[in-house]
Amino acid sequence: MRIQFHGIEVDVPQGWDGEIYRRNPEGLGGDTMPVMHLANFPLPSDRGDFGSGAVELMRSDGVLIALAEFGPDSVGTALFAREGFPVVRAEDFAPEQMQRPLPGQSGAQYFFTENGRSFCLYVALGSHVRRRELVPEVNQLLETVSVGLT
Amino acid sequence: MTAVLVTLSLAVILLAILVVGLLRSHADILRSLHHLGVREDADENHHSQPAPQPRFNSNAPADIAGQTLRGSTVHIGVSGTDTRTLLAFLSTGCSACIGLWEDLSVDPTGGMTGVRLVVVAKNREDESQSRLEELAPAGVTLVQSTEAWQAYGVPVTPYFVLVDGLTGTTVGEGSAPSWGQVGSLIVQATGDRQVMERQAVETDRGEIKADAELRRSGIGPGHPSLYPDSAPIEGGE
Repeated sequence: MRIQFHGIEVDVPQGWDGEIYRRNPEGLGGDTMPVMHLANFPLPSDRGDFGSGAVELMRSDGVLIALAEFGPDSVGTALFAREGFPVVRAEDFAPEQMQRPLPGQSGAQYFFTENGRSFCLYVALGSHVRRRELVPEVNQLLETVSVGLT
Repeated sequence: MTAVLVTLSLAVILLAILVVGLLRSHADILRSLHHLGVREDADENHHSQPAPQPRFNSNAPADIAGQTLRGSTVHIGVSGTDTRTLLAFLSTGCSACIGLWEDLSVDPTGGMTGVRLVVVAKNREDESQSRLEELAPAGVTLVQSTEAWQAYGVPVTPYFVLVDGLTGTTVGEGSAPSWGQVGSLIVQATGDRQVMERQAVETDRGEIKADAELRRSGIGPGHPSLYPDSAPIEGGE
């Protein structure tokens, strides 16, 4: 089922949870840029922009994808120099890249610019050992994401 | 001195024979495992293929898509997950729902354990938005989706549907004025389901029996064993 909000669209697979929302002004950058969450487990209603409150509920086959847009000021900066959506690789994952390290879990983070909009893509996996099994699912899902001009 | 040397030599020879035997046995085991399709580096690589996705027919209860109170777009997975979801179709205009809303502000789970509670209200144009904001407590997963009301054919309000995500089936549905009664309905529906499955096994009713037996063995929709890597060989020996 395809959902869209604020120029971001994605096909959410059956059984997955997904939400695209504008974060509160207190969030990153002090503005109200959109955030997209996708997860193959039930997302709690109260959670952080990068999945805190949700990753704690992940099992070993769990996947959480967070796509957070940054403000126009970020476009053109070195951090967001990469053009286009990244292809997620199993080698990119490391337990230390979790926002808050949790036993067995693994994370990867990418900064990029798509259609003149700057994003951070954060992917958390329930198991570092199973990353080769889970990463194809992530890429399959990311292929369905489209970002329009604002 | 000679006797000691001979004894030691014999001991070394015996140990060498033992090691060779162990190595041969290890090689035999590896060969057998390889023959069965298990690789030594299975931990790292045996999941290199994408995990199979649960497959359901078109009768599987629909996932819920709509808007949240804060205006975001949301999709809730109902079928194809190993969670049981209780969909509570509530409205701001229904007097029988008031007690249910109020109880949710005390306990956002509605007293349900082992079940994910999702409250489904109608779209913004079909609901009193200010009243909904007043009634809906924080911590409750709430989706506004008139489409979901239509998809589930909600006949009255309040109405509850319990979905087993693993099998992609509706376990039970009905109306109740309190969370306590909803809990009773769930227990009853779960019990009825178990009886139906048991009877199916006893009376040898094909599909349901097979489903029940597979489920008891831990094999549900999406289980890797249901999707072998290679196509079955037709017209075997």
